[in-house]
Amino acid sequence: MREGPGAGAGPVRAFLRKYACIALFLAAWELMSRGGLVNPVFFPPFSVVVETVWSMTLQGTMLPHVKASLTRALYGFVLAAAAGVPAGLLLGAWHSGLRRHLDMPFEVLSQINPFLLFHVLILFMGIDEAPKIAIVFWTCLWPILFSSMNGASSVNPLLVRAGRAFGLGRAGLLVKIVAPASSPLVLSGLRLALGYSMFMLIAAEMMGASRGLGWLALTTQETFQVNSMYASVVVIAFLGLALDGAFLLAGRRFLAVSREGFMNSAE
Amino acid sequence: MAVRSDARDAAGKYWLLVLMLAAWELSGRLGLVDQAFVPSLSAALSAVFDMWERTHLFMHVMVSLARVTAGLLAAAAVGVPLAYLLGRTLPGLAERIEALLRVFALINPYCVFPLFVVFFGAGELPKIAVLAWVSLWPVLFGTLAGVRGVDPALIRTARSMAAGSSAVFWKVVLPAASPSVFNGMRTGVGMSFFILIAAEMTGATAGLGWIVHSAGALNQVPRIYGAGLCIVLLGVLLNRSLLFFGNGLFFWWKSGTDPLAGVRTEGAARRLGLRSALAAAALFAVAMGVGAYEIWRAEALLNDPGEMPEYRVWAE
Repeated sequence: MREGPGAGAGPVRAFLRKYACIALFLAAWELMSRGGLVNPVFFPPFSVVVETVWSMTLQGTMLPHVKASLTRALYGFVLAAAAGVPAGLLLGAWHSGLRRHLDMPFEVLSQINPFLLFHVLILFMGIDEAPKIAIVFWTCLWPILFSSMNGASSVNPLLVRAGRAFGLGRAGLLVKIVAPASSPLVLSGLRLALGYSMFMLIAAEMMGASRGLGWLALTTQETFQVNSMYASVVVIAFLGLALDGAFLLAGRRFLAVSREGFMNSAE
Repeated sequence: MAVRSDARDAAGKYWLLVLMLAAWELSGRLGLVDQAFVPSLSAALSAVFDMWERTHLFMHVMVSLARVTAGLLAAAAVGVPLAYLLGRTLPGLAERIEALLRVFALINPYCVFPLFVVFFGAGELPKIAVLAWVSLWPVLFGTLAGVRGVDPALIRTARSMAAGSSAVFWKVVLPAASPSVFNGMRTGVGMSFFILIAAEMTGATAGLGWIVHSAGALNQVPRIYGAGLCIVLLGVLLNRSLLFFGNGLFFWWKSGTDPLAGVRTEGAARRLGLRSALAAAALFAVAMGVGAYEIWRAEALLNDPGEMPEYRVWAE
Protein backbone atom coordinates (compact mmCIF):
# COMPACT_ATOMS: atom_id res chain seq x y z
CA MET A 1 0.00 0.00 0.00
CA ARG A 2 1.31 3.38 -0.91
CA GLU A 3 0.88 6.30 1.40
CA GLY A 4 -0.46 9.35 -0.36
CA PRO A 5 -3.51 11.25 -1.43
CA GLY A 6 -5.02 8.13 -3.03
CA ALA A 7 -4.83 5.98 0.08
CA GLY A 8 -7.91 6.04 2.27
CA ALA A 9 -9.74 8.60 0.15
CA GLY A 10 -12.97 6.67 0.14
CA PRO A 11 -14.06 3.42 -1.37
CA VAL A 12 -14.93 4.91 -4.79
CA ARG A 13 -11.45 6.24 -5.25
CA ALA A 14 -9.90 2.97 -4.17
CA PHE A 15 -12.16 1.02 -6.47
CA LEU A 16 -11.25 3.25 -9.42
CA ARG A 17 -7.58 2.95 -8.60
CA LYS A 18 -7.85 -0.80 -8.75
CA TYR A 19 -10.16 -1.36 -11.67
CA ALA A 20 -9.83 1.68 -13.92
CA CYS A 21 -7.15 -0.15 -15.89
CA ILE A 22 -9.65 -2.79 -16.99
CA ALA A 23 -11.94 -0.10 -18.39
CA LEU A 24 -8.95 1.55 -20.04
CA PHE A 25 -7.88 -1.72 -21.60
CA LEU A 26 -11.36 -2.39 -22.96
CA ALA A 27 -11.57 1.17 -24.33
CA ALA A 28 -8.17 0.79 -26.00
CA TRP A 29 -9.26 -2.52 -27.52
CA GLU A 30 -12.44 -0.92 -28.85
CA LEU A 31 -10.66 2.08 -30.32
CA MET A 32 -7.81 0.12 -31.88
CA SER A 33 -10.21 -2.24 -33.55
CA ARG A 34 -12.54 0.51 -34.75
CA GLY A 35 -9.66 2.66 -35.89
CA GLY A 36 -8.13 -0.19 -37.85
CA LEU A 37 -4.90 -0.35 -35.86
CA VAL A 38 -5.45 -4.06 -35.44
CA ASN A 39 -7.19 -6.28 -37.92
CA PRO A 40 -10.91 -6.28 -36.93
CA VAL A 41 -11.28 -9.74 -38.48
CA PHE A 42 -9.09 -11.16 -35.72
CA PHE A 43 -9.84 -8.54 -33.08
CA PRO A 44 -13.46 -7.45 -33.32
CA PRO A 45 -14.29 -4.43 -31.14
CA PHE A 46 -15.27 -5.22 -27.57
CA SER A 47 -18.75 -3.77 -28.07
CA VAL A 48 -19.35 -6.26 -30.89
CA VAL A 49 -18.25 -9.09 -28.60
CA VAL A 50 -20.65 -7.95 -25.87
CA GLU A 51 -23.40 -7.67 -28.46
CA THR A 52 -22.64 -11.22 -29.59
CA VAL A 53 -22.86 -12.48 -26.02
CA TRP A 54 -26.22 -10.76 -25.69
CA SER A 55 -27.64 -12.03 -28.97
CA MET A 56 -26.41 -15.56 -28.26
CA THR A 57 -28.11 -15.37 -24.88
CA LEU A 58 -31.33 -14.28 -26.54
CA GLN A 59 -31.08 -17.04 -29.13
CA GLY A 60 -30.51 -19.57 -26.39
CA THR A 61 -27.11 -20.65 -27.70
CA MET A 62 -25.16 -19.44 -24.68
CA LEU A 63 -26.90 -20.26 -21.42
CA PRO A 64 -27.17 -24.05 -21.91
CA HIS A 65 -23.39 -24.20 -22.30
CA VAL A 66 -22.82 -22.00 -19.28
CA LYS A 67 -25.11 -24.22 -17.29
CA ALA A 68 -23.41 -27.42 -18.47
CA SER A 69 -19.93 -26.12 -17.65
CA LEU A 70 -20.90 -24.66 -14.29
CA THR A 71 -22.65 -27.85 -13.25
CA ARG A 72 -19.64 -29.98 -14.13
CA ALA A 73 -17.17 -27.65 -12.44
CA LEU A 74 -19.22 -27.36 -9.26
CA TYR A 75 -19.97 -31.08 -9.01
CA GLY A 76 -16.30 -31.94 -9.35
CA PHE A 77 -15.24 -29.20 -6.96
CA VAL A 78 -17.79 -30.06 -4.27
CA LEU A 79 -16.95 -33.76 -4.45
CA ALA A 80 -13.23 -32.99 -4.20
CA ALA A 81 -13.82 -30.68 -1.23
CA ALA A 82 -16.01 -33.26 0.49
CA ALA A 83 -13.29 -35.87 0.11
CA GLY A 84 -10.17 -33.73 0.44
CA VAL A 85 -10.87 -31.47 3.41
CA PRO A 86 -11.84 -34.16 5.97
CA ALA A 87 -9.13 -36.53 4.76
CA GLY A 88 -6.52 -33.78 4.83
CA LEU A 89 -7.51 -32.54 8.29
CA LEU A 90 -7.49 -36.05 9.73
CA LEU A 91 -4.16 -36.92 8.15
CA GLY A 92 -2.57 -33.64 9.16
CA ALA A 93 -3.87 -33.52 12.71
CA TRP A 94 -3.60 -37.05 13.99
CA HIS A 95 -2.03 -39.43 11.67
CA SER A 96 1.13 -37.52 10.90
CA GLY A 97 2.99 -40.83 11.22
CA LEU A 98 1.03 -42.01 8.22
CA ARG A 99 2.26 -39.10 6.15
CA ARG A 100 5.73 -40.57 5.96
CA HIS A 101 4.22 -43.54 4.16
CA LEU A 102 1.71 -41.58 2.11
CA ASP A 103 3.87 -38.71 0.81
CA MET A 104 5.38 -40.72 -2.03
CA PRO A 105 2.16 -42.36 -3.32
CA PHE A 106 0.40 -38.99 -3.09
CA GLU A 107 3.15 -37.31 -5.07
CA VAL A 108 2.91 -39.90 -7.82
CA LEU A 109 -0.89 -39.89 -7.83
CA SER A 110 -1.05 -36.11 -8.00
CA GLN A 111 1.11 -36.27 -11.11
CA ILE A 112 -1.42 -38.45 -12.91
CA ASN A 113 -2.53 -36.08 -15.58
CA PRO A 114 -6.31 -35.51 -15.57
CA PHE A 115 -6.37 -35.73 -19.36
CA LEU A 116 -4.65 -39.07 -19.22
CA LEU A 117 -7.34 -40.13 -16.83
CA PHE A 118 -9.88 -38.92 -19.35
CA HIS A 119 -8.72 -41.44 -21.94
CA VAL A 120 -8.82 -44.25 -19.42
CA LEU A 121 -12.16 -43.23 -17.93
CA ILE A 122 -13.80 -43.11 -21.34
CA LEU A 123 -13.11 -46.83 -21.49
CA PHE A 124 -15.21 -47.32 -18.36
CA MET A 125 -17.68 -44.50 -18.19
CA GLY A 126 -18.33 -43.70 -21.84
CA ILE A 127 -18.33 -40.13 -23.05
CA ASP A 128 -21.07 -38.91 -20.75
CA GLU A 129 -20.84 -36.34 -17.96
CA ALA A 130 -18.96 -38.66 -15.61
CA PRO A 131 -15.45 -38.42 -17.09
CA LYS A 132 -15.58 -34.62 -17.18
CA ILE A 133 -16.68 -34.42 -13.59
CA ALA A 134 -13.95 -36.93 -12.74
CA ILE A 135 -11.34 -34.70 -14.39
CA VAL A 136 -12.44 -31.71 -12.35
CA PHE A 137 -12.55 -33.84 -9.20
CA TRP A 138 -9.06 -35.17 -9.74
CA THR A 139 -7.60 -31.74 -10.53
CA CYS A 140 -9.22 -30.15 -7.47
CA LEU A 141 -8.53 -32.98 -5.06
CA TRP A 142 -4.76 -32.52 -4.71
CA PRO A 143 -4.48 -28.82 -3.84
CA ILE A 144 -7.37 -29.25 -1.41
CA LEU A 145 -5.91 -32.35 0.21
CA PHE A 146 -2.38 -30.96 0.48
CA SER A 147 -3.42 -27.59 1.83
CA SER A 148 -5.76 -29.13 4.41
CA MET A 149 -3.07 -31.57 5.45
CA ASN A 150 -0.45 -28.85 5.80
CA GLY A 151 -2.95 -26.55 7.50
CA ALA A 152 -3.90 -29.13 10.10
CA SER A 153 -0.32 -30.13 10.80
CA SER A 154 0.74 -26.53 11.36
CA VAL A 155 -1.88 -25.79 14.02
CA ASN A 156 -0.24 -24.39 17.12
CA PRO A 157 0.12 -27.37 19.50
CA LEU A 158 -0.56 -25.08 22.45
CA LEU A 159 -4.10 -24.57 21.16
CA VAL A 160 -4.62 -28.30 20.93
CA ARG A 161 -3.24 -28.82 24.42
CA ALA A 162 -5.43 -26.08 25.79
CA GLY A 163 -8.46 -27.67 24.17
CA ARG A 164 -7.53 -30.98 25.67
CA ALA A 165 -7.12 -29.41 29.08
CA PHE A 166 -10.66 -28.15 28.80
CA GLY A 167 -11.80 -31.68 28.22
CA LEU A 168 -12.39 -31.79 24.47
CA GLY A 169 -12.40 -35.23 22.90
CA ARG A 170 -10.92 -36.09 19.53
CA ALA A 171 -14.01 -35.07 17.57
CA GLY A 172 -14.35 -31.90 19.62
CA LEU A 173 -10.74 -30.96 19.02
CA LEU A 174 -11.14 -31.51 15.29
CA VAL A 175 -14.30 -29.41 15.00
CA LYS A 176 -13.52 -26.68 17.51
CA ILE A 177 -9.76 -26.24 17.25
CA VAL A 178 -8.10 -27.89 14.26
CA ALA A 179 -10.69 -26.94 11.64
CA PRO A 180 -10.93 -23.23 12.52
CA ALA A 181 -7.19 -22.87 13.10
CA SER A 182 -6.32 -24.36 9.74
CA SER A 183 -9.14 -22.66 7.85
CA PRO A 184 -7.00 -19.99 6.13
CA LEU A 185 -4.84 -22.62 4.46
CA VAL A 186 -7.81 -24.86 3.69
CA LEU A 187 -9.61 -21.95 2.08
CA SER A 188 -6.63 -20.93 0.01
CA GLY A 189 -6.39 -24.51 -1.22
CA LEU A 190 -10.09 -24.51 -2.08
CA ARG A 191 -9.74 -21.23 -3.90
CA LEU A 192 -6.79 -22.44 -5.94
CA ALA A 193 -8.70 -25.62 -6.78
CA LEU A 194 -11.73 -23.64 -7.90
CA GLY A 195 -9.51 -21.71 -10.30
CA TYR A 196 -7.97 -24.91 -11.64
CA SER A 197 -11.35 -26.56 -12.02
CA MET A 198 -12.63 -24.14 -14.66
CA PHE A 199 -9.30 -24.14 -16.47
CA MET A 200 -9.06 -27.90 -16.78
CA LEU A 201 -12.75 -28.30 -17.51
CA ILE A 202 -12.55 -26.02 -20.52
CA ALA A 203 -9.69 -28.06 -21.94
CA ALA A 204 -11.58 -31.29 -21.22
CA GLU A 205 -14.66 -29.99 -22.97
CA MET A 206 -12.55 -29.11 -25.97
CA MET A 207 -11.27 -32.66 -26.13
CA GLY A 208 -14.56 -34.46 -26.11
CA ALA A 209 -17.96 -33.03 -25.36
CA SER A 210 -21.13 -32.08 -27.12
CA ARG A 211 -21.89 -29.01 -25.04
CA GLY A 212 -20.24 -26.71 -22.54
CA LEU A 213 -18.23 -23.54 -22.96
CA GLY A 214 -15.09 -25.38 -24.03
CA TRP A 215 -17.04 -27.12 -26.76
CA LEU A 216 -18.49 -23.76 -27.80
CA ALA A 217 -15.04 -22.19 -27.98
CA LEU A 218 -13.75 -25.08 -30.09
CA THR A 219 -16.61 -25.19 -32.58
CA THR A 220 -16.58 -21.43 -33.03
CA GLN A 221 -12.82 -21.63 -33.65
CA GLU A 222 -13.18 -24.37 -36.19
CA THR A 223 -15.98 -22.66 -38.08
CA PHE A 224 -14.15 -19.33 -37.90
CA GLN A 225 -16.93 -17.48 -36.08
CA VAL A 226 -14.52 -15.03 -34.52
CA ASN A 227 -17.15 -12.96 -32.72
CA SER A 228 -18.66 -16.02 -31.08
CA MET A 229 -15.20 -17.27 -30.15
CA TYR A 230 -14.47 -14.03 -28.34
CA ALA A 231 -17.91 -14.19 -26.77
CA SER A 232 -17.16 -17.61 -25.30
CA VAL A 233 -13.72 -16.50 -24.09
CA VAL A 234 -15.16 -13.42 -22.40
CA VAL A 235 -17.89 -15.49 -20.75
CA ILE A 236 -15.33 -18.05 -19.54
CA ALA A 237 -13.11 -15.34 -18.04
CA PHE A 238 -16.12 -13.65 -16.47
CA LEU A 239 -17.30 -16.93 -14.95
CA GLY A 240 -13.84 -17.48 -13.51
CA LEU A 241 -13.89 -14.03 -11.94
CA ALA A 242 -17.44 -14.51 -10.66
CA LEU A 243 -16.71 -17.89 -9.10
CA ASP A 244 -13.61 -16.56 -7.40
CA GLY A 245 -15.40 -13.43 -6.23
CA ALA A 246 -18.32 -15.45 -4.86
CA PHE A 247 -15.91 -17.74 -3.06
CA LEU A 248 -14.05 -14.79 -1.53
CA LEU A 249 -17.29 -13.16 -0.41
CA ALA A 250 -18.54 -16.36 1.18
CA GLY A 251 -15.16 -16.96 2.75
CA ARG A 252 -14.87 -13.47 4.17
CA ARG A 253 -18.33 -13.68 5.53
CA PHE A 254 -17.95 -16.93 7.37
CA LEU A 255 -14.29 -17.28 8.13
CA ALA A 256 -11.14 -15.30 8.33
CA VAL A 257 -9.87 -15.78 4.82
CA SER A 258 -6.28 -14.92 4.33
CA ARG A 259 -6.44 -12.11 1.83
CA GLU A 260 -3.14 -12.94 0.27
CA GLY A 261 -3.64 -13.00 -3.47
CA PHE A 262 -3.23 -16.45 -4.91
CA MET A 263 -3.08 -17.44 -8.53
CA ASN A 264 -6.15 -16.62 -10.59
CA SER A 265 -7.64 -14.45 -7.91
CA ALA A 266 -9.96 -11.57 -8.61
CA GLU A 267 -8.34 -9.26 -6.10
CA MET B 1 24.00 -48.42 11.13
CA ALA B 2 23.39 -45.33 9.03
CA VAL B 3 23.03 -47.44 5.92
CA ARG B 4 20.49 -49.59 7.64
CA SER B 5 18.37 -46.69 8.82
CA ASP B 6 18.56 -45.15 5.34
CA ALA B 7 17.27 -48.40 3.93
CA ARG B 8 14.48 -48.45 6.46
CA ASP B 9 13.59 -44.85 5.62
CA ALA B 10 13.43 -45.71 1.94
CA ALA B 11 11.32 -48.76 2.68
CA GLY B 12 8.94 -46.63 4.74
CA LYS B 13 8.64 -44.16 1.89
CA TYR B 14 8.20 -46.50 -1.02
CA TRP B 15 6.47 -49.65 0.24
CA LEU B 16 2.97 -48.33 -0.37
CA LEU B 17 3.83 -47.35 -3.93
CA VAL B 18 5.29 -50.79 -4.58
CA LEU B 19 2.17 -52.35 -3.06
CA MET B 20 -0.04 -50.28 -5.36
CA LEU B 21 1.92 -51.36 -8.41
CA ALA B 22 1.78 -54.98 -7.26
CA ALA B 23 -1.98 -54.72 -6.75
CA TRP B 24 -2.30 -53.35 -10.28
CA GLU B 25 -0.32 -56.27 -11.70
CA LEU B 26 -2.13 -58.91 -9.67
CA SER B 27 -5.63 -57.60 -10.25
CA GLY B 28 -5.09 -58.09 -13.97
CA ARG B 29 -3.46 -61.50 -13.60
CA LEU B 30 -6.13 -62.84 -11.26
CA GLY B 31 -8.90 -61.64 -13.54
CA LEU B 32 -10.34 -59.14 -11.05
CA VAL B 33 -10.43 -56.50 -13.79
CA ASP B 34 -10.84 -56.92 -17.52
CA GLN B 35 -7.41 -56.92 -19.12
CA ALA B 36 -8.88 -55.35 -22.23
CA PHE B 37 -9.57 -52.18 -20.24
CA VAL B 38 -6.90 -52.38 -17.56
CA PRO B 39 -3.87 -54.21 -18.89
CA SER B 40 -1.55 -55.30 -16.13
CA LEU B 41 1.59 -53.38 -15.24
CA SER B 42 3.78 -55.84 -17.11
CA ALA B 43 1.70 -55.39 -20.28
CA ALA B 44 2.03 -51.61 -19.95
CA LEU B 45 5.79 -51.93 -19.44
CA SER B 46 6.18 -54.18 -22.43
CA ALA B 47 4.20 -51.61 -24.45
CA VAL B 48 6.76 -49.04 -23.26
CA PHE B 49 9.65 -51.20 -24.49
CA ASP B 50 7.86 -51.90 -27.74
CA MET B 51 7.27 -48.19 -28.34
CA TRP B 52 10.88 -47.47 -27.44
CA GLU B 53 12.11 -49.90 -30.05
CA ARG B 54 9.63 -49.46 -32.83
CA THR B 55 7.85 -46.11 -32.63
CA HIS B 56 10.44 -43.60 -31.42
CA LEU B 57 9.29 -43.27 -27.82
CA PHE B 58 12.49 -41.43 -26.89
CA MET B 59 11.76 -38.83 -29.53
CA HIS B 60 8.27 -38.21 -28.18
CA VAL B 61 9.54 -37.89 -24.60
CA MET B 62 12.18 -35.38 -25.64
CA VAL B 63 9.67 -33.42 -27.73
CA SER B 64 7.34 -33.04 -24.75
CA LEU B 65 10.19 -32.18 -22.42
CA ALA B 66 11.60 -29.58 -24.80
CA ARG B 67 8.22 -27.93 -25.24
CA VAL B 68 7.54 -27.61 -21.55
CA THR B 69 11.04 -26.31 -20.76
CA ALA B 70 10.95 -23.82 -23.61
CA GLY B 71 7.59 -22.56 -22.35
CA LEU B 72 8.92 -22.20 -18.83
CA LEU B 73 12.07 -20.42 -19.98
CA ALA B 74 10.03 -17.95 -22.02
CA ALA B 75 7.66 -17.36 -19.11
CA ALA B 76 10.55 -16.82 -16.70
CA ALA B 77 12.39 -14.55 -19.13
CA VAL B 78 9.32 -12.31 -19.39
CA GLY B 79 7.68 -12.75 -16.01
CA VAL B 80 10.55 -12.44 -13.57
CA PRO B 81 12.06 -9.15 -14.83
CA LEU B 82 8.60 -7.70 -15.39
CA ALA B 83 7.52 -8.54 -11.87
CA TYR B 84 10.73 -7.14 -10.38
CA LEU B 85 10.21 -3.97 -12.36
CA LEU B 86 6.57 -3.68 -11.28
CA GLY B 87 7.17 -4.62 -7.67
CA ARG B 88 10.32 -2.60 -7.02
CA THR B 89 10.47 0.31 -9.41
CA LEU B 90 6.85 1.00 -10.23
CA PRO B 91 4.73 -0.14 -7.26
CA GLY B 92 2.06 2.45 -8.03
CA LEU B 93 1.63 1.15 -11.56
CA ALA B 94 1.67 -2.43 -10.28
CA GLU B 95 -1.21 -1.65 -7.95
CA ARG B 96 -3.18 -0.10 -10.77
CA ILE B 97 -2.73 -2.81 -13.37
CA GLU B 98 -2.84 -5.85 -11.12
CA ALA B 99 -6.58 -6.36 -11.63
CA LEU B 100 -6.07 -6.36 -15.38
CA LEU B 101 -3.26 -8.89 -15.08
CA ARG B 102 -5.52 -11.12 -13.02
CA VAL B 103 -8.13 -10.97 -15.77
CA PHE B 104 -5.49 -11.90 -18.34
CA ALA B 105 -4.54 -14.87 -16.19
CA LEU B 106 -8.12 -16.09 -16.49
CA ILE B 107 -8.02 -16.13 -20.27
CA ASN B 108 -7.68 -19.71 -21.28
CA PRO B 109 -5.07 -19.74 -24.08
CA TYR B 110 -6.63 -22.90 -25.32
CA CYS B 111 -9.77 -21.06 -26.36
CA VAL B 112 -7.91 -18.42 -28.34
CA PHE B 113 -5.49 -20.80 -30.01
CA PRO B 114 -6.24 -19.36 -33.48
CA LEU B 115 -4.91 -16.02 -32.25
CA PHE B 116 -1.66 -17.66 -31.22
CA VAL B 117 -1.46 -19.13 -34.70
CA VAL B 118 -2.08 -15.66 -36.18
CA PHE B 119 0.78 -14.25 -34.13
CA PHE B 120 3.25 -17.10 -34.12
CA GLY B 121 2.47 -18.95 -37.33
CA ALA B 122 1.85 -22.67 -37.56
CA GLY B 123 4.18 -25.29 -36.14
CA GLU B 124 6.00 -25.38 -32.82
CA LEU B 125 5.93 -21.73 -31.80
CA PRO B 126 2.22 -21.29 -31.01
CA LYS B 127 2.29 -24.40 -28.81
CA ILE B 128 5.25 -23.12 -26.85
CA ALA B 129 3.57 -19.72 -26.63
CA VAL B 130 0.46 -21.32 -25.12
CA LEU B 131 2.60 -23.08 -22.52
CA ALA B 132 4.50 -19.87 -21.84
CA TRP B 133 1.19 -18.05 -21.35
CA VAL B 134 0.00 -20.70 -18.89
CA SER B 135 3.15 -20.61 -16.81
CA LEU B 136 3.68 -16.84 -17.09
CA TRP B 137 1.00 -15.95 -14.54
CA PRO B 138 2.12 -18.11 -11.63
CA VAL B 139 5.70 -16.95 -12.26
CA LEU B 140 4.65 -13.29 -12.46
CA PHE B 141 2.41 -13.31 -9.41
CA GLY B 142 4.84 -15.46 -7.45
CA THR B 143 7.68 -13.06 -8.17
CA LEU B 144 5.50 -10.05 -7.41
CA ALA B 145 4.48 -11.54 -4.07
CA GLY B 146 8.11 -12.33 -3.32
CA VAL B 147 9.35 -8.84 -4.18
CA ARG B 148 6.61 -7.23 -2.15
CA GLY B 149 7.17 -9.54 0.78
CA VAL B 150 10.82 -8.57 1.28
CA ASP B 151 11.20 -7.41 4.84
CA PRO B 152 11.70 -3.62 4.64
CA ALA B 153 13.96 -3.81 7.68
CA LEU B 154 16.41 -5.86 5.61
CA ILE B 155 16.49 -3.20 2.92
CA ARG B 156 16.90 -0.42 5.44
CA THR B 157 19.69 -2.29 7.17
CA ALA B 158 21.53 -2.71 3.88
CA ARG B 159 21.00 0.97 3.07
CA SER B 160 22.31 2.04 6.43
CA MET B 161 25.46 0.12 5.62
CA ALA B 162 25.83 2.31 2.53
CA ALA B 163 24.71 -0.27 -0.01
CA GLY B 164 23.81 1.25 -3.35
CA SER B 165 20.59 0.38 -5.13
CA SER B 166 22.23 -2.30 -7.26
CA ALA B 167 23.77 -3.91 -4.19
CA VAL B 168 20.39 -3.83 -2.46
CA PHE B 169 18.89 -5.53 -5.48
CA TRP B 170 21.53 -8.24 -5.89
CA LYS B 171 22.24 -8.92 -2.23
CA VAL B 172 18.87 -8.38 -0.54
CA VAL B 173 15.83 -8.27 -2.82
CA LEU B 174 16.87 -11.02 -5.22
CA PRO B 175 17.77 -13.60 -2.57
CA ALA B 176 14.82 -12.75 -0.34
CA ALA B 177 12.31 -13.06 -3.17
CA SER B 178 13.81 -16.08 -4.91
CA PRO B 179 11.97 -18.82 -2.99
CA SER B 180 8.69 -17.25 -3.99
CA VAL B 181 9.88 -16.91 -7.59
CA PHE B 182 10.84 -20.53 -7.57
CA ASN B 183 7.52 -21.68 -6.15
CA GLY B 184 5.79 -19.72 -8.89
CA MET B 185 7.92 -21.51 -11.44
CA ARG B 186 7.05 -24.88 -9.94
CA THR B 187 3.33 -24.13 -10.06
CA GLY B 188 3.77 -22.89 -13.62
CA VAL B 189 5.64 -25.95 -14.79
CA GLY B 190 3.07 -28.25 -13.20
CA MET B 191 0.17 -26.49 -14.89
CA SER B 192 1.87 -26.18 -18.23
CA PHE B 193 2.78 -29.87 -18.18
CA PHE B 194 -0.90 -30.72 -17.66
CA ILE B 195 -1.92 -28.38 -20.44
CA LEU B 196 0.87 -29.63 -22.70
CA ILE B 197 -0.51 -33.15 -22.63
CA ALA B 198 -3.98 -31.84 -23.47
CA ALA B 199 -2.57 -29.70 -26.28
CA GLU B 200 -0.64 -32.62 -27.72
CA MET B 201 -3.76 -34.72 -27.59
CA THR B 202 -5.72 -32.32 -29.73
CA GLY B 203 -3.34 -30.51 -32.02
CA ALA B 204 0.06 -32.09 -32.42
CA THR B 205 1.81 -34.78 -34.37
CA ALA B 206 4.40 -35.77 -31.78
CA GLY B 207 4.82 -35.91 -28.03
CA LEU B 208 3.55 -38.09 -25.22
CA GLY B 209 0.04 -36.66 -25.35
CA TRP B 210 -0.11 -37.47 -29.03
CA ILE B 211 0.82 -41.11 -28.31
CA VAL B 212 -2.03 -41.40 -25.80
CA HIS B 213 -4.48 -39.87 -28.20
CA SER B 214 -3.52 -41.90 -31.25
CA ALA B 215 -3.34 -45.09 -29.20
CA GLY B 216 -6.83 -44.28 -27.91
CA ALA B 217 -8.08 -43.75 -31.45
CA LEU B 218 -6.52 -47.04 -32.58
CA ASN B 219 -7.77 -48.83 -29.46
CA GLN B 220 -4.27 -49.89 -28.42
CA VAL B 221 -5.05 -49.92 -24.72
CA PRO B 222 -1.65 -51.12 -23.40
CA ARG B 223 -0.02 -48.22 -25.23
CA ILE B 224 -2.32 -45.73 -23.49
CA TYR B 225 -1.15 -47.08 -20.16
CA GLY B 226 2.47 -47.28 -21.27
CA ALA B 227 2.53 -43.67 -22.43
CA GLY B 228 0.66 -42.78 -19.23
CA LEU B 229 3.44 -44.34 -17.17
CA CYS B 230 5.95 -42.20 -19.05
CA ILE B 231 3.89 -39.04 -18.49
CA VAL B 232 3.58 -39.65 -14.75
CA LEU B 233 7.26 -40.48 -14.46
CA LEU B 234 8.27 -37.37 -16.39
CA GLY B 235 5.97 -35.23 -14.22
CA VAL B 236 7.46 -36.63 -11.02
CA LEU B 237 10.98 -36.14 -12.35
CA LEU B 238 10.29 -32.54 -13.39
CA ASN B 239 8.82 -31.72 -9.99
CA ARG B 240 11.60 -33.52 -8.13
CA SER B 241 14.42 -31.92 -10.04
CA LEU B 242 12.99 -28.43 -9.56
CA LEU B 243 12.62 -29.19 -5.87
CA PHE B 244 16.18 -30.49 -5.71
CA PHE B 245 17.55 -27.30 -7.22
CA GLY B 246 15.23 -25.18 -5.10
CA ASN B 247 16.41 -26.82 -1.90
CA GLY B 248 20.02 -26.61 -2.95
CA LEU B 249 20.02 -23.03 -4.18
CA PHE B 250 17.75 -21.45 -1.59
CA PHE B 251 19.25 -23.02 1.47
CA TRP B 252 17.53 -20.48 3.69
CA TRP B 253 14.12 -21.91 2.80
CA LYS B 254 12.19 -22.83 5.87
CA SER B 255 10.80 -26.30 5.65
CA GLY B 256 7.21 -26.38 4.53
CA THR B 257 7.17 -22.96 2.89
CA ASP B 258 4.97 -24.22 0.10
CA PRO B 259 1.67 -25.12 1.73
CA LEU B 260 0.01 -26.24 -1.46
CA ALA B 261 2.55 -28.77 -2.65
CA GLY B 262 2.53 -32.43 -1.83
CA VAL B 263 6.20 -32.66 -1.18
CA ARG B 264 7.71 -30.65 1.57
CA THR B 265 10.40 -28.15 0.86
CA GLU B 266 13.32 -28.60 3.18
CA GLY B 267 16.00 -26.01 3.52
CA ALA B 268 19.66 -26.50 4.15
CA ALA B 269 19.95 -30.15 3.19
CA ARG B 270 22.70 -29.76 0.63
CA ARG B 271 23.87 -26.47 -0.64
CA LEU B 272 24.66 -26.54 -4.33
CA GLY B 273 27.94 -24.98 -5.27
CA LEU B 274 28.71 -23.09 -8.44
CA ARG B 275 30.13 -26.21 -10.05
CA SER B 276 26.99 -28.28 -9.65
CA ALA B 277 24.88 -25.34 -10.81
CA LEU B 278 27.00 -25.14 -13.96
CA ALA B 279 26.74 -28.91 -14.45
CA ALA B 280 22.96 -28.63 -14.15
CA ALA B 281 22.88 -25.80 -16.66
CA ALA B 282 24.98 -27.86 -19.08
CA LEU B 283 22.67 -30.84 -18.68
CA PHE B 284 19.74 -28.55 -19.28
CA ALA B 285 21.29 -27.15 -22.44
CA VAL B 286 22.03 -30.63 -23.77
CA ALA B 287 18.45 -31.71 -23.07
CA MET B 288 17.14 -28.66 -24.89
CA GLY B 289 19.43 -29.31 -27.84
CA VAL B 290 18.38 -32.94 -28.10
CA GLY B 291 14.75 -31.83 -27.76
CA ALA B 292 15.09 -29.32 -30.60
CA TYR B 293 16.70 -31.98 -32.76
CA GLU B 294 13.93 -34.46 -31.95
CA ILE B 295 11.24 -31.91 -32.81
CA TRP B 296 12.94 -31.44 -36.15
CA ARG B 297 13.15 -35.22 -36.59
CA ALA B 298 9.48 -35.64 -35.77
CA GLU B 299 8.65 -33.17 -38.54
CA ALA B 300 10.88 -35.09 -40.94
CA LEU B 301 9.29 -38.42 -40.01
CA LEU B 302 5.87 -36.93 -40.54
CA ASN B 303 6.73 -36.37 -44.18
CA ASP B 304 8.00 -39.92 -44.51
CA PRO B 305 4.89 -42.04 -44.07
CA GLY B 306 6.78 -45.29 -44.55
CA GLU B 307 8.54 -44.61 -41.27
CA MET B 308 5.53 -44.34 -38.98
CA PRO B 309 2.40 -46.20 -39.92
CA GLU B 310 0.56 -44.59 -36.99
CA TYR B 311 0.81 -41.20 -38.61
CA ARG B 312 -0.98 -42.37 -41.70
CA VAL B 313 -3.75 -44.07 -39.79
CA TRP B 314 -4.16 -40.97 -37.69
CA ALA B 315 -4.28 -38.69 -40.70
CA GLU B 316 -7.06 -40.65 -42.31
